[in-house]
Amino acid sequence: MRERTFAPSRVLIYLIVLLVAAAWLAPLVVVVLNSLRTNEEIAQGSMIGWPQHLAWSNYAAAWSGFCVAETCAGIRPYMLNSALVTIPATIFSTLLGAVAGYAVSLWRFRGDTWIYGIVTLGLFLPQQMRLLPWTIVLRDIGLINTLAGLVLIHTIQGLSFTTLFCRNYYVAIPHDLIRAARIDGAGFFRIFWRIVLPLSPPILIVTVIWQFTHIWNEFLYGVTFTSGQQQPVTAALIALSAAVADIPQHGVQSAAVIIAALPTLLIYVLGGRYFVRGLTAGAVK
Amino acid sequence: MPITTTRRRLLAGSVATLALPAFARAQGAVKPRLTVISQWSAGSDGAAITALGKKFEEKGGVWQHSPVPGFTTEMMNKLRAQIMAGDPPACSQLKGPEIAAWSKIAPTVDLDALVAAAGYEKVVAPDLAKLHKPGGKWIALPLQIYSTNMLFLSKRAMDKAKADKIPVTWADFNDLAEKMKAGGVAFPIANGGTRPDDGQKFEAALAGISPLAYRAAMMNLEKKALEGPEIKAAFAQVRKIADWMDPNVGAQHFSTNLKRFIDGDMGMMIMGGWAQGVLRNAGFKFEDFIIAPGPSDNSKPVFLLNADAFIFWQRKEADLQAGQTLMAQLVMDPAIQTMYSQITGSIPVRTDVDLSGEGWSEGQRTTAKALKDAIASNQAVLSMAHNMAQENGMTAAMIDVITEYVKNKTIKPEQAAARLAEAVESSR
Repeated sequence: MRERTFAPSRVLIYLIVLLVAAAWLAPLVVVVLNSLRTNEEIAQGSMIGWPQHLAWSNYAAAWSGFCVAETCAGIRPYMLNSALVTIPATIFSTLLGAVAGYAVSLWRFRGDTWIYGIVTLGLFLPQQMRLLPWTIVLRDIGLINTLAGLVLIHTIQGLSFTTLFCRNYYVAIPHDLIRAARIDGAGFFRIFWRIVLPLSPPILIVTVIWQFTHIWNEFLYGVTFTSGQQQPVTAALIALSAAVADIPQHGVQSAAVIIAALPTLLIYVLGGRYFVRGLTAGAVK
Repeated sequence: MPITTTRRRLLAGSVATLALPAFARAQGAVKPRLTVISQWSAGSDGAAITALGKKFEEKGGVWQHSPVPGFTTEMMNKLRAQIMAGDPPACSQLKGPEIAAWSKIAPTVDLDALVAAAGYEKVVAPDLAKLHKPGGKWIALPLQIYSTNMLFLSKRAMDKAKADKIPVTWADFNDLAEKMKAGGVAFPIANGGTRPDDGQKFEAALAGISPLAYRAAMMNLEKKALEGPEIKAAFAQVRKIADWMDPNVGAQHFSTNLKRFIDGDMGMMIMGGWAQGVLRNAGFKFEDFIIAPGPSDNSKPVFLLNADAFIFWQRKEADLQAGQTLMAQLVMDPAIQTMYSQITGSIPVRTDVDLSGEGWSEGQRTTAKALKDAIASNQAVLSMAHNMAQENGMTAAMIDVITEYVKNKTIKPEQAAARLAEAVESSR
């Protein structure tokens, strides 16, 4: 058995990795520390510093205390709104993207590359450009200022990404497999259900992580197409930070940011090891 | 003038009510209701609009406020979406030249009769009034005022400089800064790094050097004024200020420096009147700093106006119309303006509100007096840095030039002046 050696080059590599990690984590450390300091302590001292005593009250205020105008319910109701948008939109966009990716990769038809190209074009359009068209669509179907409208937006916009990823993953599936299934009499959906979907977990986890994170963190549509009590958590976070005539509430802000980040963090912890695997799955042929 | 309802005002009110049968009927028949969009959600801004909503409800109204957290662009996106959906709010927060710009997008309410009934026009700064009646008719109402060029002096830094005189002109200001530097104040100027911060220093410099040139160049965009010597002088003054600032501000809020300011490591701050509320909320004492009007070379106060306002959008519903009437009356009411400003730390739009009573701070009194004096000498001008002088796009182009100048010390004042004129030309 080989003995563990600590060659100088190894030590150097670890040192560099540690330094980079420290630089990356420093802002998070500041946020975590500030989440335990009172606003007054931060204002009277500096943005960076150790808590003099642990101000857990910041978390209570962030969760259910602070006011967004007339409503003093903290971040809690807005977390629920975000969940009500993010979970269905993630599921719908992932499933539809998987079907679409399967169709354009394994069921070649006339114009399939064009359709694929147009769907993925959505990735390159800036958000602001799509704001007015969405306004008109939501107005015409009567979904403006509803959470259902946001689910629709994120499902459709998510398709660009989910189709791209699923298609690139599915092109690696041998065509003979599909052909054999067709000879056995399986149709479009049976092949998808019985053959393609069981092969898909790595890529589905990637798209779920990606979609969940993006929809959860989205602000522009969330704030434009909802009103008052239906706003997503990002709007509540901004509400905390955008007071003109006030000292920034760094303590409560930090606590709220940490709470708001927990769901996405959880998704990464649960699916993270599949993430890189899925991303690189189609890369090496 | 103290807040009293004079007989004349009552008379004017009843005449206007007679002249407005539609409004009167609406108000009599239905419960007034108001849909409002504003950015005010957190802190004292949120508290103030909540208090206004309570007053609205006390008068029998139904208050439906949708805060749009974030900055002006977010609120404008929301407003545009509502207008396009055919459901504009009865009333929304909007300010400066954007009022004129947006009034072309959707029909607004003519508030002339209500304004006349309240006798509001004669108690509002003339330049400010103009912004709220873009087509000659009042369609929006200012609610509260901040000055963007108040001068805050740290008592401890003054002690270090062995100075006790409040600077009046830019020469006094520069003298004091030098003395502070010599007395061991690390940075005579405290500044933040957010977008309006450098713009505020420039507008304070230019308006303090010549309010006339400021009006011509920043408000009217006159080419000759933009190329005039005052602009170069203002840039030269900004360079001095920049040299006295801590360059390591990043994009930080000015409040990150407050501790150093109070401790006397930083000496002076040119900031909006809102800074006193920030200082108070951060737990600092009023004895530790002085508030004065920003430097003015002709020794008469120059007031850079920043005012928040509400614009009223046409609605067919009787209850919303009644709500608009009630809201307009409330916004113009001296008691309501008093309540609002006492919460946010601003000053009332009305120049006839008495600030001597309890609930007002010394800083607010100084600010209100500065406004009165500035109006008297025609030196109340509109703030560029806070989007009062120009629309967003033009302001952004100007601030880009100013911020680059502040950060890049190799740019000469003459070059900066030329760049500013160019930026204005290309954004017209």
